[in-house]
Amino acid sequence: MADLSVKGLVKEYAAGVRVLAGIDLDIRSGEFFTLLGPSGCGKTTLLRTIAGFIRQNAGTIHVGAEPLDDQPAHKRDIGMVFQDYAVFPHLSVADNVAFGLRARRLPRDQIATRVGEALQLVHLDDYGSRLPSELSGGQQQRVGLARAMAIRPKLLLMDEPLSNLDAKLRVELREDIRDIQRRLAITTIYVTHDQEEALAVSDRICVMSAGHIEQVGAPLEIYRAPRTRFAAGFVGTMNFLAAQIDAQNRLAVAGTAAPLAGRHQTGAVALAIRPEHVEVVTGDPADRSAALHLPGTILKTIFLGREAHLKIDTPSGPVTAELLDPRAEQLEMTGANVTLRLAFGHLRAFDQSGAFLPLEFVA
Amino acid sequence: MNQPRGFDLWKLILVGAWMIIALLLIYPLFSVFRASLIDGERGAYTLGNYIAVLGDPIYRRVIGNTLFVGAAGMIGALLLGVALAVLMTRFRIHARALVGTLAVIALISPPFIGAYAWIILFGANGAVRRFVMDLGINMPPIYGTTGVVLVFAFKFFPHVYLITSGALANMNRSLEEAAESLGATPTARFFKVTLPMALPAISASALLTFVLSISDFGTPRMIGRDLDVLATEAFTLFAAELGGNPGMASTISLVLVFISMTVVLLQRYVSRRNIYHGSMIARIAPRQLRGWRNLLVHGFAYLIVAIGALPATIVAFYSFRRTSGPIFTPGFALQSYERVLYTLPDVIWNTLRFSFAALVAIVIIGTLIGALVARRRSVAVSLLDGTLMIPYVIPGIVMGIAFIATFNGPPFALTGTWIVIVLAVFIRRLPYAVRAAAAALKQVSPSLEEASISLGYSPARTFMKVTVPLILPGIIAGGMLSFVTAMNELSSSLVLYVGSTMTMPVKIYLSVLDGEYGTASALSTILIALTAAAVYAALRVSGNEARSLV
Repeated sequence: MADLSVKGLVKEYAAGVRVLAGIDLDIRSGEFFTLLGPSGCGKTTLLRTIAGFIRQNAGTIHVGAEPLDDQPAHKRDIGMVFQDYAVFPHLSVADNVAFGLRARRLPRDQIATRVGEALQLVHLDDYGSRLPSELSGGQQQRVGLARAMAIRPKLLLMDEPLSNLDAKLRVELREDIRDIQRRLAITTIYVTHDQEEALAVSDRICVMSAGHIEQVGAPLEIYRAPRTRFAAGFVGTMNFLAAQIDAQNRLAVAGTAAPLAGRHQTGAVALAIRPEHVEVVTGDPADRSAALHLPGTILKTIFLGREAHLKIDTPSGPVTAELLDPRAEQLEMTGANVTLRLAFGHLRAFDQSGAFLPLEFVA
Repeated sequence: MNQPRGFDLWKLILVGAWMIIALLLIYPLFSVFRASLIDGERGAYTLGNYIAVLGDPIYRRVIGNTLFVGAAGMIGALLLGVALAVLMTRFRIHARALVGTLAVIALISPPFIGAYAWIILFGANGAVRRFVMDLGINMPPIYGTTGVVLVFAFKFFPHVYLITSGALANMNRSLEEAAESLGATPTARFFKVTLPMALPAISASALLTFVLSISDFGTPRMIGRDLDVLATEAFTLFAAELGGNPGMASTISLVLVFISMTVVLLQRYVSRRNIYHGSMIARIAPRQLRGWRNLLVHGFAYLIVAIGALPATIVAFYSFRRTSGPIFTPGFALQSYERVLYTLPDVIWNTLRFSFAALVAIVIIGTLIGALVARRRSVAVSLLDGTLMIPYVIPGIVMGIAFIATFNGPPFALTGTWIVIVLAVFIRRLPYAVRAAAAALKQVSPSLEEASISLGYSPARTFMKVTVPLILPGIIAGGMLSFVTAMNELSSSLVLYVGSTMTMPVKIYLSVLDGEYGTASALSTILIALTAAAVYAALRVSGNEARSLV
């Protein structure tokens, strides 16, 4: 187990098209590290470069103190789990798991022991003699995981391993993956475009877009304190409201304005707030302190079981509010005029470049 | 994957492939082209041959005949094949396996055997014709256009059936249900939804049967009598002892190639946008019919395949009949087989030997080029892939004439050797093997190879341990089919054979012309049996998918 460090990694395909635009990362030993981003953001390219399937144009990759750059993929000792499982269809489950051990010319009895251990790890103890075609997708991916773990790699890479599975199985397997990773404390890099999956399994998440890193942080930090507008919008649901910092140093939104502490440059900002933090008030709010208040009209209500989403039209654009455990009459408010209470503590502002802009309100 | 650095094996394969194509395809075709421009009497370059072909009413009639039997054969095969495909995919038919087997028998027996079997039944002396005449009903013999078209229709319909039934079976049921819920009657639904969806498959099989029909040589030669088509005309002009005209034979060959190519391009153009990707959510379940409809559907399906398989059956039956010289006499005996095994063991042995040599060359070289085409994209590779389309439209008779024109003298004096016969089959069949290997490789997800590499095997060992085992069934199946084609090759061998390199199809053809029907029957039966064994092996390896035969 070792820490991985990536420095100044650049990958260009056609001249000028940068898939990776200078990536710097330090991943700690035993960490579950997730690369999260939309398709085309470079996360898979980064993973495949670390695996050795893609050669970078510039930059270095080290595991511990050892540089990986000039080692061919088959000598890197890195386990990999694939999106399409890549389980060898012509080999039994046990032979699949033994594949990497045979490549290392381990003695026969040791191979048998390790195959048994790996299959036990993924709860496929009795499946050794089956062929992959007899297994479900989830079981095949377990074989893929056991096969990668059996070689006791320095590093485990997973490329969207759950995206071909159905929702229920996805949750089940992701928890197993997380448990196995914790137990063996193997440094893992996990690629996904599913933000919920990333929040559920990761020690740290790296949000990527267009070949660069937006933010690296623990799941809670990424969700609660996004550093960029992109990260705020990509992880979870986020409302964005058009706002201005006016000449009187106030934050102005849809006719209301709240004075700010400290001097700020005037100009447009994007104000972000999570749906679960939008309070919907019917009638006149008694308490108008420590919050922005926006008038709005409920366009529609969407009942989701545990919660309901209200779509509300405001002068600054549409806003989604989340109601936990909604009552029946709350679902019949379509057309009602309401007031939205946005508490100062839950608002985050981003400037026009998309960077986080810390604002402090005068109480 | 890392970009390969410096010299690599793929470049060697690319260069080798181009050398093979240059020598066996481009150079021979160029020789034919040059010959077509040479005046037969003065030896000067001229367009006279082309002017003669297009201007002479006799040649114009030959072109007309060719187009007519091609179109009529195609239409016949389409009617039979599409009807059978619709019946088999939409209704519950008992003994489906039998229907499939009979269709495959019709598919694998060479067309000239079909012609010969129809002569046995409906020829001047045909058994059925004599029976009908004895009843006092006048029945003209089958010779001529009717016979040729009938043979083509019943010989080539399995191609249409296999391709079309594949498309119909993979069609999403929801589409028909959607049409139904929108108020379309069953007939409207069939013509407005089902048929258009199957159209790419139908037009592809139409193209195939047309090209097969116009390039077939044995059928019009045997059953056509006075019906001259381009393939037979080219052979006649070429083979005539006196007054042969190689320039004219070449010109006619190129006209034939031109027609094939035009049709291929036309089909490509027509179906350029009509590619429907069926999702396999809900397949259509065959319907159980009752009463007279059920009988009618069954009777029709059985009748088509029974007639298709008739030639093979007839030939096998006659091979066991007692003969007296060339005449069949009442009773059964093994005389014909004794005569064949006694006097013609060389012919059987030649066929097996040549076909095996072709098989080995095709499998090895085809797989290497297939891997190149599937995994290494470059301009030179794409061009190679495109050039390999050419043999699809070169009839055997043209390839034979081209090879004679090329390898008759130095620097490659191969005429009269077995090598030239094998090479002609090799180059014609190579594209199929390349396609098969490339298709098999494309089924192998690159992530399988990457998994093996990440587990510690080098790329070269990964190819041996993962890639080769996965594509092997496809390659073996493709190889068996190449073997079958090689065994049944008549037209190019007929141009290229000498006494010592005679093969079974050539001998069968000559026997039929000489009226040696016993010998022809026995040899044909042996050939069909060998073919059936190879096809059975191919189907076993490739998972019993008869569609892979087409």
